[in-house]
Amino acid sequence: MTSRRKIQLAAYGLFILSLFVVPYFMDDFGLNRASKYLVYGMLGLSIALTWGYAGVLNLGQGLFFGLGAYMMAMSLKLMSPTSLQQGSDKPIPDFMFWNAEPNAPIELCCISPGSYLWIPFQSLWFGVVMGIVAPVVVAGLLGAIVFKKRISGVFVSIITLALVLLVRLIVIDAQPVTNGFNGLTDLGFLTIFGYEFDPYSRQMYYLVAVSLSLVLIAGRLLADTRSSLILQAIRDDQQRARHLGFNVPMYQTFFFVVSAAIAGYAGMLFVLVSEFASPTFMDLSFSVTMVVWAAVGGRSSLLGACIGAILINFTEARVSETETLVEAWKAIIGLIFVLVVLFLPRGLGGLAHDFVDWLTRSDRTNAKTHDASSANLKREVKQDA
Amino acid sequence: MRDALSLDGVTAKFGAFVAVDDVKMSVADGELRVLLGANGAGKTTLMDMISGRIHCSRGRVRIFDRDITNWTEHKIALAGVGRKFQIPSVFRNLTVQENIEVARCHGQSVFRNLRFAMSQSDRDRVAEIMELIGLNDVQTQLAAHLSHGQTQWLELGILVAQDPKVVLLDEPTAGMTHDETYKTAEIIKRLRGEHTILVIEHDMSFVREIAQVITVLHLGKVIAEGSVSEIESNDEVRAAYLGSAGIS
Repeated sequence: MTSRRKIQLAAYGLFILSLFVVPYFMDDFGLNRASKYLVYGMLGLSIALTWGYAGVLNLGQGLFFGLGAYMMAMSLKLMSPTSLQQGSDKPIPDFMFWNAEPNAPIELCCISPGSYLWIPFQSLWFGVVMGIVAPVVVAGLLGAIVFKKRISGVFVSIITLALVLLVRLIVIDAQPVTNGFNGLTDLGFLTIFGYEFDPYSRQMYYLVAVSLSLVLIAGRLLADTRSSLILQAIRDDQQRARHLGFNVPMYQTFFFVVSAAIAGYAGMLFVLVSEFASPTFMDLSFSVTMVVWAAVGGRSSLLGACIGAILINFTEARVSETETLVEAWKAIIGLIFVLVVLFLPRGLGGLAHDFVDWLTRSDRTNAKTHDASSANLKREVKQDA
Repeated sequence: MRDALSLDGVTAKFGAFVAVDDVKMSVADGELRVLLGANGAGKTTLMDMISGRIHCSRGRVRIFDRDITNWTEHKIALAGVGRKFQIPSVFRNLTVQENIEVARCHGQSVFRNLRFAMSQSDRDRVAEIMELIGLNDVQTQLAAHLSHGQTQWLELGILVAQDPKVVLLDEPTAGMTHDETYKTAEIIKRLRGEHTILVIEHDMSFVREIAQVITVLHLGKVIAEGSVSEIESNDEVRAAYLGSAGIS
């Protein structure tokens, strides 16, 4: 193992360790907020996977985040106490009851047009599974079409951007099913095997922290595979990769889908922590903000993008506490972005990379002189022969 | 002997313009064939058709009797056709060694490559290829930092790592200094025999150095085929290259 690799693994280890030390210094309110930032960290990672490794800048990651969030929220909504108080023995979301026609039957099947879509969400597991499956299916279809058509670069960004806005519009428009602009609020707690996860509890924080750690480790392992190396080769030169015999769209779609699955999972966790799901998750500004996190953290570094997201959000929270700076925050984040793009195009991750290079340079030069001398030796041996 | 590559009436049309017209050619297993022709003769288009970048309007392309006409690029590559481009194309943000390793990954599918280390035999092969192209000193550098000549050699290395049966080289010495051209000729000569090679080249001294059989294309048609001396004394070739007056 090279010393670079050791430092990299140490950084991952240190970060994961610190995730589990944080609760000792925070109250439950702080932990809830920290959980949200960890979810954002997961989103930053998912952006880095497509942007840094696949060279696909997804400006609509909010679509997958939102899909995951809504799937989870629909199941939790039906578990909410208020859903059981709408005059039926089966749970009915309160907004459907309020908006129902006077004589509509109080049943999920037919209380409002499209309300039957909610029927399977009476099972919590259906919501949990769909939170991953829905983003995966959408990303799979989108990727298969876009990448097979050899669309790349800025055009993929435009398509994803348009798609997230389209879905956002549909969600707002389908008011009888989705509660439109208000989103889904007043949700029940996640209950797994009789154990309740209170959003303002240590257990909830640990659920998020363990999830992030697992996603980080899985992401790191994935980034170390040969497929990831081939994906980066595709990023650099698609045509060359094709003529080496690689099924290029398949690689791009696969990593796009993995990224979508992570974003969907992040959406589910976010609903658990914040207790709502709303169309704002699919706002363009939110998707662009994710890209800024990844850019600041370092788009070609999974850990960097994750830390970037967390850092920016912590700073934002701190700044917002000072009243005079609340309004200025948007300008500050904009300035940070401009500075990073100008002076640190590879973000904090790139900076760390260079620092490690500088640290390990001494033993690399040793290795090089060693290589050179052995090469000389070989040459001499050849000449003798 | 079995033909490694055979073209049977291959034609490329872009609208009314015929870039390659009814080309028939066969290259024996292990042969090194040079494609000669002025600008616009259709040499690169012909390679594009063999490697699947351009649709054949008519005709068949066969690799060892296997019909690969109009397959997708990656399937043709898997069938054993390697391609070097006129403008050197390597993976610029990967290191030199990683470039070779990518080419050494087997199979087209993402799932087949969801694994970590390479096998010992593959690693040995990568080391061998690094030796062949002489880029050992720079193996940990990014390919973007290589000189033009080194980039060309790296692309040759990528090709060899892919282990193709038929290698298509589009002007492998373009823009090289004399010494670099010499080294490239050495590399290509070492590939001869193991691979069947089709080269597009303009540099006549280089052609004399490596060629066995030459095929001359002019305005999309084959006008001559033969050894170096036959081609040099062929009247039609002289006319195509120098105008009907010939050398006066």
